[in-house]
Amino acid sequence: MTIQEIMERAKIKETNLAIAWIKDAIHLIQSQGHDSLATWKVDVVDGVREYALPLDLIKLRSISIKDTNDDRWKKIRRLISEPTVTEDNSP
Amino acid sequence: MSFDTNDTFVYQIVGRDIHLYQYIYSARTDILAGYRIRIPDSFFGDQLVYPDETIASGLRFEGTTLTKSFVTEALEDTTGYSTGTDISFSTTTITGAGTDHGFADLDRVRIQGSTSNDGDYTSIAGGGSNTLVFAASTFTAETAGAKISINQIPLEVASPTEVSHVNLSRMLSLAVIDYIKGQLADLSGNVELKEYYMREFWKKVGDDKSNKIKTGISYTSNTYAVK
Repeated sequence: MTIQEIMERAKIKETNLAIAWIKDAIHLIQSQGHDSLATWKVDVVDGVREYALPLDLIKLRSISIKDTNDDRWKKIRRLISEPTVTEDNSP
Repeated sequence: MSFDTNDTFVYQIVGRDIHLYQYIYSARTDILAGYRIRIPDSFFGDQLVYPDETIASGLRFEGTTLTKSFVTEALEDTTGYSTGTDISFSTTTITGAGTDHGFADLDRVRIQGSTSNDGDYTSIAGGGSNTLVFAASTFTAETAGAKISINQIPLEVASPTEVSHVNLSRMLSLAVIDYIKGQLADLSGNVELKEYYMREFWKKVGDDKSNKIKTGISYTSNTYAVK
């Protein structure tokens, strides 16, 4: 459906405002479900545990690590609780 | 070399970051002259350690995002598809996919199954009934043989105008209309009307989701049922 058709059906005349509200609506839809998915890949670095979540991520579905043995990404599990000891400088 | 990563890695979300740990039932190790060795005096047992190797593109996030919110063609019309073992590549042209398969010039396509040309590409003008043309040096030349699939995918519009399409199904586009009506009602101070339209919005979002879920109900026949 075109933006013009949406504007006509909703009886709104300001295109920029309509586009902003359409983005808000898509944001809500993407927050509640998984209408369309995207993937982001970053390098795992030896000895580094902190990795930033993608800034444009709305809702996380899964995190995977590449199994280089058979060249596939495999979903990993989330820790329920914080590890008892966290040592940043000398892992 | 990483293996069984689904069993050996765990993560924790901390603010905008994740903390990635590797589970080992061992002692801490290191690689010396190509050999993995146990570090003397290191604790042996169940433990979480920082990742102990570098893996290129090894961490993959999957989720939803706002990118590709607007596209050039309605989702329902994005139907180009070709598959088979008769698809071949020159450096600029795909033979085996064209207007006969629902494609058109300037379409965005996703290639899967090729020996060296898997990926997303945008065609240029000049295609035919069985060919799609791309910019110079797009592909590695490849003869027919591999089982290749070519799908049309939505082409994003970075600066949307009124003729751009919303990258949503028709049901979700109708939900967006309710959302906008709700915001207009909110602007005019009519909260009750806004709540009505927001209910309609979520109803359509729910409908769209449930349309994809197939459920079945089975009944047992009673003793004297006519069969």
